[in-house]
Amino acid sequence: MLEALMISLQLALVTTAILLLLALPLAYLLTFKSFKGRTVLEVIIALPLVLPPTVLGYYVLMMIAPDSTTGRIWQSVFDSSLAFSFSGMVFASVLYSLPFAVQPMQQALRAIPHSWLEMAQTQGLNLKQTLLDVMLPAAKDGVLVAAALSFAHTMGEFGVVLMVGGSIPGETKVASIALFEMVEMQQQSEAWMLALILLAVSFVMLSVVYTINRQSLNMGVGK
Amino acid sequence: MNRIQITIRRDTFDLQMDTSFADEFIIISGENGAGKTTVLRCLAGLEQPQGQIVVMGKVWLDSSAEFVLSPGRRRAGCVWTDAALLPWLNVEKNILLGVKKIDEHWLTRLAEQLEITVLMQRKPQMLSTGEAQRVALARAICRKPAALLLDEPFSAQAPAIRVRLRETLKSIQAELKIPVVMVSHDSEDANVLGQQHWRMREGKLLTEILYTGIRQEMQA
Repeated sequence: MLEALMISLQLALVTTAILLLLALPLAYLLTFKSFKGRTVLEVIIALPLVLPPTVLGYYVLMMIAPDSTTGRIWQSVFDSSLAFSFSGMVFASVLYSLPFAVQPMQQALRAIPHSWLEMAQTQGLNLKQTLLDVMLPAAKDGVLVAAALSFAHTMGEFGVVLMVGGSIPGETKVASIALFEMVEMQQQSEAWMLALILLAVSFVMLSVVYTINRQSLNMGVGK
Repeated sequence: MNRIQITIRRDTFDLQMDTSFADEFIIISGENGAGKTTVLRCLAGLEQPQGQIVVMGKVWLDSSAEFVLSPGRRRAGCVWTDAALLPWLNVEKNILLGVKKIDEHWLTRLAEQLEITVLMQRKPQMLSTGEAQRVALARAICRKPAALLLDEPFSAQAPAIRVRLRETLKSIQAELKIPVVMVSHDSEDANVLGQQHWRMREGKLLTEILYTGIRQEMQA
């Protein structure tokens, strides 16, 4: 049980870290730039919200299978298979939780008062300064919410990680899959404990999200 | 000489402006919706009109050559009706936003003149509207800008401090020798500060009054 929990935790941490780096430029692009294919990009990012996880898992598996281009490149560089590996699960998790990271950041960036951005322009701040000194501090709460949601969502994954990871004990068997197997094997007390831990993690993470949201609202940050 | 020759089409009106001005104090007045703020925004580079803007010998806009200088490169100090202070920075750091080389002496003097010395370490949330407005003025002036564009910068000030602020702005303008374009509804601003007075209506310059000659005459 502990092993599966540790894998879930690692997966959630790595996925969240990658998502924070990836989602901010994406959110910036979608909020402030108009370009061809913006709607398509937005739809692709939002797809995991409505797509059955097994469908996403299936396509990711096809994409990273050993005989696919990505799979072959990965094999030649790292000398290991991307499918049914921890790295493969990270790749799938990043895609699966992308909307949970991008959308809060997009909302936070959208809420930055226009006057602050114009002030940054007229005061001669360059793009890097505007991002670091104005946008990021203003969107700080959105970034925290994005991190909490990405983490919680990844901890709760089932279908995608099962398809892509294959539930290999000690490698890709995460807590949610371990719970399913415990119930199947009627290990009631262990299942009860693991379910409680997963429930607690989700509860704490969502509490964090709601607290941040309430604080932002009260302080009028970004208003 | 500076020159502004611009046209911009809006839903409610077309703005047209064609005039020259020296490095002096210009007051813009007019009814709501006359286009006063739009003129300032065009000068600041936040709107893209057609035409030409030249300030202090530097071309800011020349739409015939498809040339637009970015707002940052214009180095115009701006104060809008929204002070736009960043709440996570204290007053001093807000003032120093975009300042590349800090001139401590200049900053101290500016803070004294704008009566914000005691506020320097406070967060914007702790300021009154009038104080925030003076901080925004300090931020606009601190960079020693190439021009000052002020949209009703005294609107939240008490009458007594307004009198002192006029003198301060007048001396700063004389010291920096830059054009200051200021939107104001207060006739006293025009009387005390205005070396040129642009009265606008429905996007057009209605009258242009030059005060310099009259004052000189009166002094003589």
